[in-house]
Amino acid sequence: MTSTPLIGVSKSLLKIKELINHVANTCLNVLITGETGVGKEVVAQNLYKESPRTANNFVKINCAALPETLLESELYGYEKGAFTGAHKKRPGKFQAAHKGVLFLDEIGDMPLSLQSKMLHVLQSGEFSPLGSDQDFKTDVWVIAATNHDLEQRIKQKQFREDLFYRLNIIKIDIPPLRERKEDIPALIEYYYRLYKSEYPNNQGSKPDTDTMTKLCNYPWPGNVRQLQNCIKKQMVLDSWEKIFDEMPEETPHGSVPSVSVQSKSDPNRAANVHPDFANDQISLISEFVDLSTSSDKLFQDISLKKIKKKASDRVEKEVITFVLDKVGWNRSRAAKILKVSYKTLLYKMTEFDIDPPSK
Amino acid sequence: MTRPIRLLIVDDNEDILSTFYEFFNSMGYKVKTAVDGFAALKLLREKTQDFDCLITDLVMPNISGVGLISIVKKEYPDLKIIAMTGYGDQPGALASEARADVVLFKPVDLFEIEKKMTKLMNQGNPKKQE
Repeated sequence: MTSTPLIGVSKSLLKIKELINHVANTCLNVLITGETGVGKEVVAQNLYKESPRTANNFVKINCAALPETLLESELYGYEKGAFTGAHKKRPGKFQAAHKGVLFLDEIGDMPLSLQSKMLHVLQSGEFSPLGSDQDFKTDVWVIAATNHDLEQRIKQKQFREDLFYRLNIIKIDIPPLRERKEDIPALIEYYYRLYKSEYPNNQGSKPDTDTMTKLCNYPWPGNVRQLQNCIKKQMVLDSWEKIFDEMPEETPHGSVPSVSVQSKSDPNRAANVHPDFANDQISLISEFVDLSTSSDKLFQDISLKKIKKKASDRVEKEVITFVLDKVGWNRSRAAKILKVSYKTLLYKMTEFDIDPPSK
Repeated sequence: MTRPIRLLIVDDNEDILSTFYEFFNSMGYKVKTAVDGFAALKLLREKTQDFDCLITDLVMPNISGVGLISIVKKEYPDLKIIAMTGYGDQPGALASEARADVVLFKPVDLFEIEKKMTKLMNQGNPKKQE
């Protein structure tokens, strides 16, 4: 496996490197946190590279990318005939990662039911593939990563507290790039050289001093990944000016872009709402209720029953489309995954106007 | 002549840390402190001094108390370990699983810890006497 080194000279990055050196041989569960694009997988790979498990596999699974049942069979594998379509036995990621590393990316998005199964496996060191009554001993080093605040998700009952403490034995928090600007020149140099060696004929020039200052002062909401993309683009476009033009506006991080509600009526409508929630709340409500009418008309129109139906229809439509897309629009497979009858699925597809993408 | 017992106390709350330091120091112990599991591990691995007992908090950044206990039990099996937690049952259960000798729940009584530690140290630590 080719792995990226950890690039940077900031105090926080040097501390992460030092921590990796101290804990890589312990193979204790690790939780890596940080915003999207900061390099959580790079840290996981560096842990693996420094560990005694480096001769075995580094297996990655993204817990947010698959629907629940697929994620479960990917993790634990299945026996022949475990479910319709299981024509032959298939080993899961736990087997593939035996004596190596299992990298659970986006662990904060793992469905609750799978979290309890994961907890059981981590506690007992045993798992059984779907459709099998045999328990397999597993020896994997679990490194998990998330961009969610798991403690917050525990409070919201979306993440199991016991699983959190079991994963959080070693915690590596990677600060966003805007909090370690000293790393930016080194990262630019590294990726510039890398892409130059991959595409030697590209003419993209390195940033001059002014451009470098500008690059260092940009807040990089997409972190290292965004910076990488910029340098890749520079290799092709050879114009820092164009690249700056295409960068997202500098907005303070975490601020939600304000949603404009077409309001023809009372501009003080949101006056009683807490200002922090006003925008979010109104934009959500406006998706289900026409807020552009007068207060009297609005109150006549609001019906919890109707809104509930609209909201659930919308979520159902999204989920059905998502699953159909994942299974290549195989409707009988999708119906099984969604645990509804084939007939119900067809009915819902008609009701919600769900059509396969045109070829 | 009996030498003083050497303690390593780890907690990310500096107020707790200094209270513990003052207390055990005044009781005649030789005390070192660390602000998290990582700082404690570095202190242990530097090997500039040995310790008889580790008193550690459990929920801390970098290396948690549970992580520290697991590593210490493997690398320094003679070191006695007292774990303390203020975060419900989970970390305490994990500390026991990692074979901490004593697990206490916060708020903890300093005299109680001292009593438990003396008892632990008397449970056949051959290195206690010089």
